[in-house]
Amino acid sequence: MTDGAPNSDADAGCVGRADPVGTVRRSRRRFLAAAGAAGTAGLAGCSSGSPFGSSTETPGEVSFSDFRGSGPLVESRPPLEGTRIEDLPELSGELDVYLGGGESGLYRDLVSLFEGIYPDFTGRIRAYGAAEAANTIVTEGESTPADVFWSVDAGSLGAVAAEGLTATLPDEVVEPVPDTFHPDGQWVGTAGRARAVPYNTDQLSADQIPDTVMDFPGAAPLGGAMGWAPTYGAFQAFVTAMRVLVGRDRTERWLRGMLDAGVSEYQDEFLVSNAVAEGEIAAGFANHYYALRVRSSRPDAPLDLAFTSGDAGALINVAGAAQLAPSDDEELARNFIRHLLSAEAQEFFATRTYAYPTIPGIPPVGGLPTIDELDPPELDLTELSDVQPTLELLRETGVL
Amino acid sequence: MPTDGDDASGGGGVLAHRWGEETAGGTAGLLLAAAAVAVAIAVLSPVLWLVLRAAEVGVVEAVALATSPTALGVLVNSLLLVGLVTAASLALGVPLAVLTVQTDLPFGRFWTVVAALPLVLPSYVGAFAYVSAFGPRGELADLLAPLGVRVPTIYGLEGTVLVLTLFVYPYVFLTTRASLLSFDTAQLEAARTLNHDYRSAFRRIVLPQIAPGVTAGALLVALYALSDFGTPAIMQYDAFTRVIYVELGAFGQGRATVLALELLGVTALVLALESRVGPDESGGYGSAASSSTVLELGRLRWPATLFPAAVATFTLALPVSILAMWLLRSGPAYAGGGLAFEWSFGLNSVSASLLAAAATVVLALPVAYYAGRSDSVAARLAERSTYVGYAMPGVVLALALVFFGTRYAPGLYQTLPLLVFAYVVRFLPQAVGTTRSSVLGVDADLVGAARTLGEPPRGAFRRVTLPLIAPGLVAGATLVFLTTMKELPATLVLHPTGFTTLVTYIWRVQEAGYYGRAALPALALVAVSGLSMVLLLRQEGTDG
Repeated sequence: MTDGAPNSDADAGCVGRADPVGTVRRSRRRFLAAAGAAGTAGLAGCSSGSPFGSSTETPGEVSFSDFRGSGPLVESRPPLEGTRIEDLPELSGELDVYLGGGESGLYRDLVSLFEGIYPDFTGRIRAYGAAEAANTIVTEGESTPADVFWSVDAGSLGAVAAEGLTATLPDEVVEPVPDTFHPDGQWVGTAGRARAVPYNTDQLSADQIPDTVMDFPGAAPLGGAMGWAPTYGAFQAFVTAMRVLVGRDRTERWLRGMLDAGVSEYQDEFLVSNAVAEGEIAAGFANHYYALRVRSSRPDAPLDLAFTSGDAGALINVAGAAQLAPSDDEELARNFIRHLLSAEAQEFFATRTYAYPTIPGIPPVGGLPTIDELDPPELDLTELSDVQPTLELLRETGVL
Repeated sequence: MPTDGDDASGGGGVLAHRWGEETAGGTAGLLLAAAAVAVAIAVLSPVLWLVLRAAEVGVVEAVALATSPTALGVLVNSLLLVGLVTAASLALGVPLAVLTVQTDLPFGRFWTVVAALPLVLPSYVGAFAYVSAFGPRGELADLLAPLGVRVPTIYGLEGTVLVLTLFVYPYVFLTTRASLLSFDTAQLEAARTLNHDYRSAFRRIVLPQIAPGVTAGALLVALYALSDFGTPAIMQYDAFTRVIYVELGAFGQGRATVLALELLGVTALVLALESRVGPDESGGYGSAASSSTVLELGRLRWPATLFPAAVATFTLALPVSILAMWLLRSGPAYAGGGLAFEWSFGLNSVSASLLAAAATVVLALPVAYYAGRSDSVAARLAERSTYVGYAMPGVVLALALVFFGTRYAPGLYQTLPLLVFAYVVRFLPQAVGTTRSSVLGVDADLVGAARTLGEPPRGAFRRVTLPLIAPGLVAGATLVFLTTMKELPATLVLHPTGFTTLVTYIWRVQEAGYYGRAALPALALVAVSGLSMVLLLRQEGTDG
């Protein structure tokens, strides 16, 4: 991802405004690496403020600031690149959208913003859990009233695609997004979330977190001090990824090892991250944005994130959107999905849901490593829908 | 079908013949039976879809799954949970009902409302509140820690039983209460003039007659414990529903269906068991409903209020305080989600719940009346089958109706009528149970007298029977209204697009991790439901 360079350049050039979570060391390293390659692009962005910032808006244009979040994690944003909403075909008509997953509240806000821009556009939204939405669409089959399925979990999109209920998205829709986030064109990733290890900085230092997830069961400072949420979909996707990557036997050993080391069970990964912040446990397994959400409310919480390398622990799963094949309004559905990939919408995901944007021109918030600094495993995300063998394994080992 | 009438009063004789004439005889009786059976078939129809789906799994795999060690372990867990919650609910519900109906407890009306109110709190909200308070690092645990008090862990069987009991015992309370109100206190007075003390009179006279109401409530509690998902999930206890949920979340619809059918099998077992140990339901002795005091508490009058007060502390004061705390504490993270709360959500909840309560009571009447008046196999089956939908996990029922709606009734899909039908399927037994126990309490002689005085069957029903069973109908309507207000999974899947209710909103913000945002709608839910319960209980009071 070559686009990473100018952004990082800007981070460093505007030091003092950027980088609220305190990854100064990383930024400086990135600055040194990027300075020769990227020239003055970042400095330009720094002196004039964001090229998409409200100061450069002219009346009648879509205001970028409407899409941006607020709070301690979003104090400053570097220059952004991507297709602007004004460059896209207008949205008009009624669109039935099935939302899958917990970000529905925020996703609704984005649809409301679109409705504000286009008076003729109405997004008719139904919210479900991710798997529940997929199950509902599969049960509805050809008679589904939905035009678009927009879900926080690639596995649920894969399950609907596997039933032949999605349409292949044309190149003009998926082109801005790296290939890994639209493996077969049946859906396209709209925002990413990384598996991460939230840890309590009062109890652990970053170098006490192993670099590979397979080393966790034996790691001394983590014994009896870890937490996970085994009924949570993201955790099951993580174990599924591990199964696909290293095989069932090693996954089984890993699970038993974690149990032997003593691991606390939570209902979901927000609770895991909260428990880490409160010192109830020293570290846990959770999607990255839950820790950011905790920090957004309590900036002084002793909580930071560690990432493993090249394994299931570093999995990047995506929220994504699919056009449903039975839809009778294909053009609107496709245009809607293009809007989800606009620079404005991607900035929305980055600054309001703390997700990883899936177009390279928009960096994540909160001092997170950029998506190209992470080291996710090589994996077809659609394989994450193969959860059944994972469940068998989880039950066999007594995790569930 | 005069023979049905003969069976009805068990004891046979003259009374039975009068019943035969009034209810089961001729066209009226046939119509009643037909209506009852039609309702039963309608509410059983989702099971048909489940069987069809399960058939896709294949018999061998289905049997293997149903008898796997995991499934059997879960079965044992679920039965244990059901037994304990039912027993504990009886221990709370029956004394509270007797205290508020038959004694001179101070502020009886107030305690009645307070004792019934926990039903308005969704048990998953209650469970969250309890984990918040007593969980590791919970509010109360933190508060008590400096004093050297260590709160025992809330997770597991004990916590699940505690929370479920606290929020479902009102089923026993309300059905027992309805029976007590239909009970003729003159008999009790007679017993006491014969030198029986209250305890002995209660055991020999009252208990046999309110037993149908008590068991109806116990059955509702048992089936709720069997089908509730939220509480066992939050309390980390492996019950049936948790496994089914995990399967559904993993796109294992077929396997989830097999487990759901196994759960329904357990339901059938519970129903059979209940009808075996059920009381002798021969005939009705009751006359006018009565709530006059029959037991003077004397010196215990004020201390007796400690019991309902203690229960209220744990069912209402504690969770509401936790909710209020969430509300007040909403910092930036708790305020996120971008979901503005609108009061129209409350209006949606109320209108859907009113429709569901009305539809359910109308449909429950023929089933309850038929079952209360006839002992035939058809009557028994019609009544029992209404309980099956109640034990079906909401999500499974919802998917069954999605299948039905999209294929056979596309015009109804994602409309209010189909949603209301889902509520009827889910909650019909609540109205059938309370209505039937009132029907059993109706004095056959009174109806017979009305007939002798020239009233046609319909007139006798309207002028004599209906007023007598009104407390049962009202109790049923209350239960359906309140449980519909807080029903979640079926609402999520089947609501008309854009039709947000309090619980779908609560679910949405809670799913996103914004507990603070759930506080206001949860409190609104408690307030609206509480208010309606006060109104309904007040109306009930004027019937006597």
